[in-house]
Amino acid sequence: MKKRYVYMLLLPGMLFLLLFMIVPILLTIGSTFFQQGSFTLAGYLHFLTDSYFLKILWTTLRVSLVTTLVCILIGFPAAYYLSKLGPRKKGILLALAIFPLLTSSVVRSFSWMVILGKKGLINTLLVAIGLTDEPLDILYTPTAMMIGLVHLFLPLIIITLVGVMENIDPDLLKAAESLGASRFTAFRKVILPLSVPGLIIGSILVFVGSLTAYTTPALLGGKQRVISTFLYQNAMTLNDWYYASVVATIMIAITFIVIGVMNKLAMKLNPKG
Amino acid sequence: MALLSLENVSVAYENQLILKDFNLQVEKGELISLLGPSGCGKTTTLRLIAGFLEAKQGAFLFQDKDYTRVPVNKRNFGFVFQSYALFPHLSVFDNVAFGLRLRKVKEADIVKRVGQMLEVVNLSGFEKRFPKELSGGQRQRVAIARALVIEPDLLLFDEPLSNLDANLRVNMRVEIRRIQQELGITTVYVSHDQEECFSISDKVAIMNKGVIEQLGSPAAIFKYPKTEFVARFIGFTNFLNGSERQERDGQVELKVAGHSFLIASQAGNEGRTGKKCAIRPDDLQVEAGHGSTGEPNRLNGIVKISTYLGRSYQYVVETALGNFTVNQEMDTPYQNGQQVSLVFPREKLVLVD
Repeated sequence: MKKRYVYMLLLPGMLFLLLFMIVPILLTIGSTFFQQGSFTLAGYLHFLTDSYFLKILWTTLRVSLVTTLVCILIGFPAAYYLSKLGPRKKGILLALAIFPLLTSSVVRSFSWMVILGKKGLINTLLVAIGLTDEPLDILYTPTAMMIGLVHLFLPLIIITLVGVMENIDPDLLKAAESLGASRFTAFRKVILPLSVPGLIIGSILVFVGSLTAYTTPALLGGKQRVISTFLYQNAMTLNDWYYASVVATIMIAITFIVIGVMNKLAMKLNPKG
Repeated sequence: MALLSLENVSVAYENQLILKDFNLQVEKGELISLLGPSGCGKTTTLRLIAGFLEAKQGAFLFQDKDYTRVPVNKRNFGFVFQSYALFPHLSVFDNVAFGLRLRKVKEADIVKRVGQMLEVVNLSGFEKRFPKELSGGQRQRVAIARALVIEPDLLLFDEPLSNLDANLRVNMRVEIRRIQQELGITTVYVSHDQEECFSISDKVAIMNKGVIEQLGSPAAIFKYPKTEFVARFIGFTNFLNGSERQERDGQVELKVAGHSFLIASQAGNEGRTGKKCAIRPDDLQVEAGHGSTGEPNRLNGIVKISTYLGRSYQYVVETALGNFTVNQEMDTPYQNGQQVSLVFPREKLVLVD
């Protein structure tokens, strides 16, 4: 094949994306600025002054942020351990780590309901050993959502971090140590900054994933709404497609803002990319 | 007392013993290289000295103190890696300053000392560059500056030139030797390149299978290899296995299957009691036609292979004692199958164990 036609290989995929993703998204966004044929920002004003919606927005951001932080805290050491292993052990353990992504989120959420419920595993245990008299409210709270989301997205951050950490020359740690750094200092001054790209990509994946997740918050959150469940409610229960589109646009905007901010952060932390 | 001393050290890696009862002494201010084929234990020895590996048995003494259990970061040794191991996220300045910052040196002093060190390695003006913006030789010099700026008590090199191209390698080894002598810093240098080791070292230790086969000055090893392994490693290809040995008139006579070889006794060669001797292809001489059979140090044969080497011709000559390789400068080469006789000059034959 002639070289200049190689880009044609992209065509089927691009066409698909254009027709079934980009055009519908643009139409959705466009439709939010028009009511009865005239330009308006009424939809946005309605939401941004509505304390109920702002509370949902805040819950969503809080859940996503905490989920991301917890994923980093758990995922970083795990990924570092995995990156040090031989290929065989690493393959097996990585496959295990990815396992949550391979199960249906409905099944996964139901098992968390069994574990977290009033008569669930945790509460039964806590009451039995006398740590609490009354079962705790865990299920149907933001905490339950976070637990479910961490379980879902932890593999993403582990995979991206392992990918980055594997490519860090092990001699760098030795070099730092020979120059007088303790193990911990060497880790902090060498491994940590060199892991930033993986940390940023992983965090974006987890944060955006948590922000837009539907099944897990819907099943574990109960009456507690997040943006995605609120959007669903508007569209399907209230049949209000206009407000649903406005919520969707706000969600897209937040996603882009988050990615932008994280990229800026990455540039700042790692000037040489 | 030696500055550095490894005493009966054993090191195992994944249940495989790499060094066993290993001994090595290094004097203050000297550059000693460990030379040998891959898997001979030279890098293991270096990493043991650096503290990256722990000895299973034995002791490592440095300045008469037991360093066996001292952690890497408390040893104050400079280490230069084969891969250079520069921190990719730090500029040249910050790479070199890394060790000084850990030592809480004042920022003004850091600027001064890093500047001086970059001058020593000819890299002034490169402070703001990042490692990936440098050539291989420049990276190497940053690595050396980074190891030297902490004023280490010992400098360790792990095959530092093997990633450079041939010309640069020669320049860099001259540089390394110059810096090492200028600063008078005790250095242990590991390489598998014979020429490299011989050209920069005060002493060379030839290693094989976890043991030092010979330790001495480059000239002594080059002229009088002690064992067959060392001889082969430094370019002796011809060996004679004698069955009888006699000493008379200040020379050794070796009988090899009825042929007699006389070997001159020389300083550096004395005290060797083996019945084996070796000679380099360059030192062996070849003459046209067969000579008289009874004459010592002469062997008749025929040319099997002839190869043009540029300055000389190389012949493989088949004799009653096996094949010998000989290099000779000449205008018209011998033909394959031609009758020749080999002459073994008595002062060029070296007794080996």
